[in-house]
Amino acid sequence: MAKDPRVTRIEDLPGPKSQGEMEEMKMPYEEYCKGIFDVGNEHSKPTALKGLKWLSCTMYIFTPHSVANLAELGAQVVKIEMPRMGDAMRHTSPFNECYLYPLHDTRPTTGTGLGFTNANPNKYFMTMDYHIPEMREHFYSLVRKFDGLTELYRPGTMDKWQLGYRQLTEINPRFIYVWGGGFGYGPKIFGGSYDILGQAHAGLASITGMHEYMGGHCTKQTNWVIDWQSGNLITCSILAAIHHRRKTGLGTMIEFSQVQVPTRMSGYSFPMYGKFGIVRQRWGNWDTQLSVHGIILCGKSDFPDADNPQDKFCARYVMVSAFQDADFKELCAITGTNNLYEKYKSHNERCEGEAQVEIYTALEKWAEDKTRSEVAKTLQDAGLLAEPVRNDREAYESPHFRERGTVRWLDDPLFGDMLVHCGYSCGHMEKTPRRINWHWRPVGADNKKVYQDWLGIPQSQIQEWYDKVWI
Amino acid sequence: MAEKKDIEINSRADTIGLMDMDVRPYPVTPVVSYDEVKPVYEKRKALEFCEWAEANLKFEKRYSKDESLSHIRVLDIGLWRLGHKFATSLFGEAGAECVSIEPPGGDPLRKLTPFGREEYYLENRDTGEKCGMEFVAETVNTHCVTLDVETEEGQEIFKRMAGISDIVIDGMPPGYMDNLGIGYRQLKEANPKMIYIWVGVNGQWGPWKDKQSKFGQWELAPFGSCADSWVHNTGLAQDLLPRGKGGDPTRSGVWLEDYTAGGQAFLNAAAALYWRDELGNSGQMIEVTGSETLLDMLDFDITWYGFNASIKGRSGGWDPNLNQYAWNPCKDGYMMIGGQTDKLWYNIGFCLERDYHQFGRLIHEDPFLKEVGARNALHALIKVYSVTTRWLRDQCRVEAEAKLLEYQLAAGPVMFIDEVAEFPHFKYRPWMYVQETDYGPLLIASSPSSYQVQAPFRCKWMGRDLGFDNYEIYMKWCGIDQNRVNEFKQKGVM
Amino acid sequence: MCDIIWCKHKVDGKDCDTINYLDPYYFWNWEGTISCAECGTVYYIYMINGFMYKGPEERPGETADIMPLYADKPYDGYSNYRPATEGRTRPYECMPRSFLTGTAEMLKFSIRNRPMRGWRPQPPSAGLAGQFPFNWDIQKLSPEVWEEYQQKIAAGEVTDW
Repeated sequence: MAKDPRVTRIEDLPGPKSQGEMEEMKMPYEEYCKGIFDVGNEHSKPTALKGLKWLSCTMYIFTPHSVANLAELGAQVVKIEMPRMGDAMRHTSPFNECYLYPLHDTRPTTGTGLGFTNANPNKYFMTMDYHIPEMREHFYSLVRKFDGLTELYRPGTMDKWQLGYRQLTEINPRFIYVWGGGFGYGPKIFGGSYDILGQAHAGLASITGMHEYMGGHCTKQTNWVIDWQSGNLITCSILAAIHHRRKTGLGTMIEFSQVQVPTRMSGYSFPMYGKFGIVRQRWGNWDTQLSVHGIILCGKSDFPDADNPQDKFCARYVMVSAFQDADFKELCAITGTNNLYEKYKSHNERCEGEAQVEIYTALEKWAEDKTRSEVAKTLQDAGLLAEPVRNDREAYESPHFRERGTVRWLDDPLFGDMLVHCGYSCGHMEKTPRRINWHWRPVGADNKKVYQDWLGIPQSQIQEWYDKVWI
Repeated sequence: MAEKKDIEINSRADTIGLMDMDVRPYPVTPVVSYDEVKPVYEKRKALEFCEWAEANLKFEKRYSKDESLSHIRVLDIGLWRLGHKFATSLFGEAGAECVSIEPPGGDPLRKLTPFGREEYYLENRDTGEKCGMEFVAETVNTHCVTLDVETEEGQEIFKRMAGISDIVIDGMPPGYMDNLGIGYRQLKEANPKMIYIWVGVNGQWGPWKDKQSKFGQWELAPFGSCADSWVHNTGLAQDLLPRGKGGDPTRSGVWLEDYTAGGQAFLNAAAALYWRDELGNSGQMIEVTGSETLLDMLDFDITWYGFNASIKGRSGGWDPNLNQYAWNPCKDGYMMIGGQTDKLWYNIGFCLERDYHQFGRLIHEDPFLKEVGARNALHALIKVYSVTTRWLRDQCRVEAEAKLLEYQLAAGPVMFIDEVAEFPHFKYRPWMYVQETDYGPLLIASSPSSYQVQAPFRCKWMGRDLGFDNYEIYMKWCGIDQNRVNEFKQKGVM
Repeated sequence: MCDIIWCKHKVDGKDCDTINYLDPYYFWNWEGTISCAECGTVYYIYMINGFMYKGPEERPGETADIMPLYADKPYDGYSNYRPATEGRTRPYECMPRSFLTGTAEMLKFSIRNRPMRGWRPQPPSAGLAGQFPFNWDIQKLSPEVWEEYQQKIAAGEVTDW
């Protein structure tokens, strides 16, 4: 029935339609954000990648994480591991101390180490030995049902096993095939790749760490940042490929080199080298483009009586930022260094190397009889930006991360009480929040589900393959 | 042919221009040819596959292929930081139409330059406009327009632009856009399909949300990495180097959290696009912060705290989980050696023993070091790396790498930027190459997503003059013709 | 003899024969005096880029600036002095907690006192081909731990954080 133009319907008018909507529009923005993200109720909302299915033929951190992003966004992901031993990363643990059990019923005294954390949440776990030719057709059966896979084997290996892109695209032209590794085609194609190698080889190490003249050295980011960030960028490529497939119906192969990622994240380093021949160096805890904007050492720790040495000895650093003129002036006033304000009135002047040395030395001298909190508070009370450098315990106890659900406890279905960090909060999404269902599962924990339910293999056959260690 | 010139250098300014890419060509050493690489493929019996890979994934073919997100429109507004810009650049590399809004005075990031040295500004060859390198490097495939959203007309125009955008990226302080009436909750009604992403340091809400100083200065990287313990556990231990001279928590040399936030912003937005387009739903709001995306990369650290109250500490160039897996100083820099399993562990001994006999004796005779797990003990790391460095101090990185690779060990030098730029494999790909830009030829780092059969990422242009695209974008998106643009400029709205 | 100081000071007529390890970052460019972990002999060294430009020279009567982090003795099966041995080696303080065991820690409860499957061996609970359920039937599999948990709850030891 045609709409009667004499009748005005409220749904057609702009503006809020209900009391609830009106309140939503009027409430303070912060409250509004908190409300729409609704931390703690993520599971009541849909998932973004519902229906997407992915195979994870991966190990360590880099490639598994690229797929874990998809799993956290709701895709159905299956991790394929070698029978019994599983992913090599399961066997790493900090200082050899932290394992959760069991790894597998046939290995009652072997656990999965905490090194495995964060890279494989929400996945289903199956085992399959790719070397066995008889398993190949079952792999193909999976490929027909799935949207894509990620693998990390030496180039040519999957191809040799007839499981490479060239073969799989015949079976499923919509299949998206992702290879993640160190180098890709070229002279160093077969080079083994690690996060530490990425940091060293691609220049990130050369620009991180205390200045040489101060006796400092090229410093490794302690965490496996290149593994994780490269994983994220692979996921970006996967999602872009999925959108492309929506347009064209075509799958694709993506070759992604982890060692390349730091070069893409190096800011002005390469343009500067190319144009001016200048090789960027490390500049410690200060900033090459902003001054004052760096981390200073204070005289005393905030927790001198703590049991944990990280609290006791190292809670002594404050990040101070006062690069705009008015802020810098105030900073100098507070720290009794007005002479520096007179000397370095413009930002570019105080950004120069020698100026920074002079300024930070003076700041640390001012701070040398104070605790971290005293320094931070004094500067904050003056209206400046200053924050303590916090450790894991402080991140755990942070009211901010707790409120936002970034740090939260998970009652893992198989392993009990474990802390989750991030996962949910990599991107707070209003309507399709990310979520963690479980940290990981034992090796082959979903073999029956995959082989019986999805592939129709009779139970006796599954048992036979299991006994032969084909799965 | 190189020509001789007489030059007088009295200041740094006099050196500018002597090293330009048209004077000093890149690369210095020639790129390896395919014929030289072929034997590498053949040796591992993978020639056929590698030939296919090169033919189908070749970097040089990227422009001839399709673009994955060419149907997407991205509107970006933000200042100072790289987070929102990296997200926009990623969309741009994937083919989306990206427009970045700056106030008429420009993004302050344009003025930042290493050590405040103005001679490092890049200069647009056509217009003479100068811009800092960091801004140029992270403005990829992005149109730049000016708009003062604090004026009423500016807000109207912004609303119209957001109304026809798929993605809106907000890099302003919490609540800034909302206060002006052009935030998510005001815009979403007119454009329910819009995906709105806020990218920042700590958040739009929560006790530590992004703040400003009392003088209006913004919080920038690395505040996020200081809040989430990233900085605390990076660097050398105070026992391995004196505190105050390197034995300190150390920030990353780049604005790392901006890059991690930008990456996750694209990632989650692309997922939201999937939910919208493939599954037939609406847009939504997404919030991505540097501190949280970096927290996700803390390996197992917080989970470890929950396990037995351990707080991760710094371990410098050494990894606490594996031995050997570290870099240590050597004759001309730093050398990374990796070899954890028994076979590789003994290979390291065989290799180093050739030059330094004591290594084999001290390391392989020691009963404690015979078991793989035991080697991770702190004192084992100290002993092994002290003795390894005794060998390294006599080796250049090139020598060390050649010797170690003979024993199939993972080994790599810590390379400086110029060495990275000249590394044979990286040149072959290429991971950095010379792009002819409006600022002249620039050596830029290529996108890691450029190696795809169907729709590789690519850089079309890098950097952009302030407001360069005002006329094109305002006409195309809003029907505002050039005269009206000029009027708005007069009034300071654009 | 660089990056290590092989102490050959005579102690009771015999060589001390203790190797004092000079850890690579601290000593890469360093000048000063360091003591032997075993016999306390003070040595002066001047190291430049890892090379012993001067020393080790004995400096009797002087106080050492620093002690090594670690030392061991190759002739007696590598008995050693680990970091923080009083009067012999300097402490290593940048640890994740005040003690380390170096072996898997058998834990049954997380830091907030709820059950956590951190001990071995676990009773078998897998089905066909290693299939696991989606719950930990702790009451059936590890009733003693469940009991202990109930006691903790009763004692008010179980917290939210």
